[in-house]
Amino acid sequence: MPFVSRIQRQTDYGLFPSATPIVIDNGASYFRIGWAGENDPRVIFRNIVQRPRHKATGETVTVVGDHDPALLKYFDCTRSGPRSAFDSNVVYQFETMEYILDFGFDRLGANGPEIDHPVLITECVCNPVYSRSKMAELLFETYGVPSVAFGVDAAFSYKYNQQHGICAKDGLAMSSGFTTTHVIPFVDGEPIYKGSCRTNIGGYHVTDYFKQLLSLKYPHHMTRFTWEKIEDLKMEHCYIAPDYALEAQLFQKGSKEAEDKTRRWQLPWVPPVVEEGPSEEELARRAAIKERQGQRLREMAEAKRSSRINELENELRGLAFLLKQLEQVGQEDVPSFLAETGYASKQEIESAHAKATQSLRKAKGEPKAEQVESDEKIDPFADEKFSLLNVPDNMLSAEQLKEKRRLNFLKTTTEGRQRAKQKRMEEELERERKNREDEERRLANPVLYLEQLHIKYKELCEKVEQRKRLKTNGGNTNGNNLSGGVGRGERLNAAQRERMRLLTTAAFDRGKGEDTFGAKDEDWQLYKLMSKDNDDDDDEQDPEEAELTRISSRLQEIDPTFIPKAELGTSQQVVEVPKFRPLTKEDFQVILGVERFRCPEILFNPNLVGIDQAGMDEMAGVSIRRLSCDSKDVKDRLTQSILITGGSSLFPGISERLEARIRMIRPCGSPIRVVRASDPVLDAWHGASMYASALQFPSQTFTRMDYYEKGEDWLRRYQLMKL
Amino acid sequence: MEPDVIEAELVLPNYFSFKKIQSFEKYPKGQSSARRFKHLKQIIQAENFQNYPPDEPNYVNIESPPSMHPSKRICDITGYEAPYHDPRTKLRYANTGVFKVIRSLPNEYVQRYLALRNAAVVLR
Repeated sequence: MPFVSRIQRQTDYGLFPSATPIVIDNGASYFRIGWAGENDPRVIFRNIVQRPRHKATGETVTVVGDHDPALLKYFDCTRSGPRSAFDSNVVYQFETMEYILDFGFDRLGANGPEIDHPVLITECVCNPVYSRSKMAELLFETYGVPSVAFGVDAAFSYKYNQQHGICAKDGLAMSSGFTTTHVIPFVDGEPIYKGSCRTNIGGYHVTDYFKQLLSLKYPHHMTRFTWEKIEDLKMEHCYIAPDYALEAQLFQKGSKEAEDKTRRWQLPWVPPVVEEGPSEEELARRAAIKERQGQRLREMAEAKRSSRINELENELRGLAFLLKQLEQVGQEDVPSFLAETGYASKQEIESAHAKATQSLRKAKGEPKAEQVESDEKIDPFADEKFSLLNVPDNMLSAEQLKEKRRLNFLKTTTEGRQRAKQKRMEEELERERKNREDEERRLANPVLYLEQLHIKYKELCEKVEQRKRLKTNGGNTNGNNLSGGVGRGERLNAAQRERMRLLTTAAFDRGKGEDTFGAKDEDWQLYKLMSKDNDDDDDEQDPEEAELTRISSRLQEIDPTFIPKAELGTSQQVVEVPKFRPLTKEDFQVILGVERFRCPEILFNPNLVGIDQAGMDEMAGVSIRRLSCDSKDVKDRLTQSILITGGSSLFPGISERLEARIRMIRPCGSPIRVVRASDPVLDAWHGASMYASALQFPSQTFTRMDYYEKGEDWLRRYQLMKL
Repeated sequence: MEPDVIEAELVLPNYFSFKKIQSFEKYPKGQSSARRFKHLKQIIQAENFQNYPPDEPNYVNIESPPSMHPSKRICDITGYEAPYHDPRTKLRYANTGVFKVIRSLPNEYVQRYLALRNAAVVLR
């Protein structure tokens, strides 16, 4: 049953005489308050306090209990999570406790100058005296309560059930609360705290475990797993398996029973709107438009080319004409003729002519032939040029020597270029061959090829990541101080050591007035050396990165389910959601299979969450042992009436499990009977109310005077007695 | 305050007639309550339970001993019985399929799974 809160303000406070005690069940999960002698508590709310800031006014307000989340939108709740007054099952935060008591009394209808009724409040087993005294102080000082009594909630529950005949006078009470679980033996109606036993596992831990498991399994739905929702799920779906191992095996085999026991939680999901693929005519129309555009572009390009060709031809004709004229004109008139045209000499005209022919040919679209021609032209050109080289040195003049050196240089460069081209062609051939081989291999055995490729990709990824990590670790995070990584004893590679050496030598103070750094220009070269960009790692890294990108692109082509690792640190999801297939309904389902019985299992087996204490079944044995009664029949009587109470005892299957387990520790044939309290959640309050309405109750309370006179030691030994 | 907030009486009022000392007088603003109150560990320490006779039950006395039963090893991820554990990540797993998943988990998730079992490495 989900959270139940009853916070209606009661109006009949004044009707109760001041002798009527107020009964408070101060639990770590819920706070219940009411009048003694009644059947049910008047006010119930969750025992938490929030202090959000009001968005409009900015003041910090207090909100007690859990409220309608819609109303909380007026408040800024980021810095104020829900706070509890409890630490494990002991009250320690009395400011929070005061807010809660304020709220509780207020809703009960209190309106006098002080609370004029005796108060019976519950506490945990063997409550430390510090907590007890602070609580008493709070009640006496701030609320003016005349007298106070403390009692243990499990004991009240047992007494109540005993009155109603559900359990006998002697027995064990197993109370499983929010943060702890207690086992208390009762002999002759009285709790024997010496034999009691406490494990720090409760409903809170079960819910927390459940929440963590679901969050880890479905990380992309994490926002949906709020505490309240998970509690609801726990209360509705969790159960305790009679034997954990058998149940787990059922699920592992995937049998039909396991399937029946699996529950699916469908999160709200809207299927994405599927776009209708463009229809045929649409496609045809689009294709036609594209073609027309292409056509237009081509026509424009064509027109431009032809106009350029025309221009060039015109130019060519003009130049040819000029040349002819030049030939006709006599030698003397050449300079004047040339001055008119604007060219300095015949060679110039000729070279312009040659250039124009070249461009024309290029424009007309004979590029390859052109290049070959130019290559060929270079070679004979080179030969005739380099003829000078063949002539030995001593026969040349100084000028010719210079010429020769230049020609030498040219020759080496052209030869180098040729060699480079040759190598490039060879590499091309090599790559082609490799690709062909690759393709063949792929076609031959696609699966194996794919796996190999994946493995290679992973290795490369790891290497690159490692390299990057080394770089950033050894270097640093923001490039400002170099010693960030060094101080912690990081190993430096050669480049970093070099840099450190340079830095230290440069910074070394050679004494006053001796610093001549910067006088020479070469000194500044030091900074270039120190610069981080000069890592020689880059050379080693680039081919690997290139290889990586190549492989990833190959994988993307071939393998439809491959997702490239975009950057370092992207968290991979345990449940992969490939991004290029549409999310289906199943992706939004949360499957509760094994978790249903795995989470409450921690009540019996706290080792599952790392708490090294006994589970509920073993605690019964411990408790009986601690009683140190030797007679067998006392133990039998204890196990004959085992009462389970407390909020966390509502899991189905708990009684059967307990019975089976306790049978294992007791000798064969001993009687065992496990009963559940009539109302595990509210029985503590019922028992307390019944106790408070008895006539002798006032003798059990203590007043403010008692508290001050008798002191702390008396308070420590204070205990409710049997009436 | 918005009308529906007042209507629902969400906020705790500052003044109560039945209180002798009001909250705002007792707890002046600005001091954090966390420092004012002792936590359970400090309370227990201050009690000096060892001074009292060990027979009497007190808060520390009644704590349960460690479990005597052999601990059940279940797979961290699936919850099945797990006879194996991964030396690199220290997680327990039930079969090879789970093992593959474990090896592909990023470190954050590994630590969270271990934290569930209280076995994570905590650097303090």
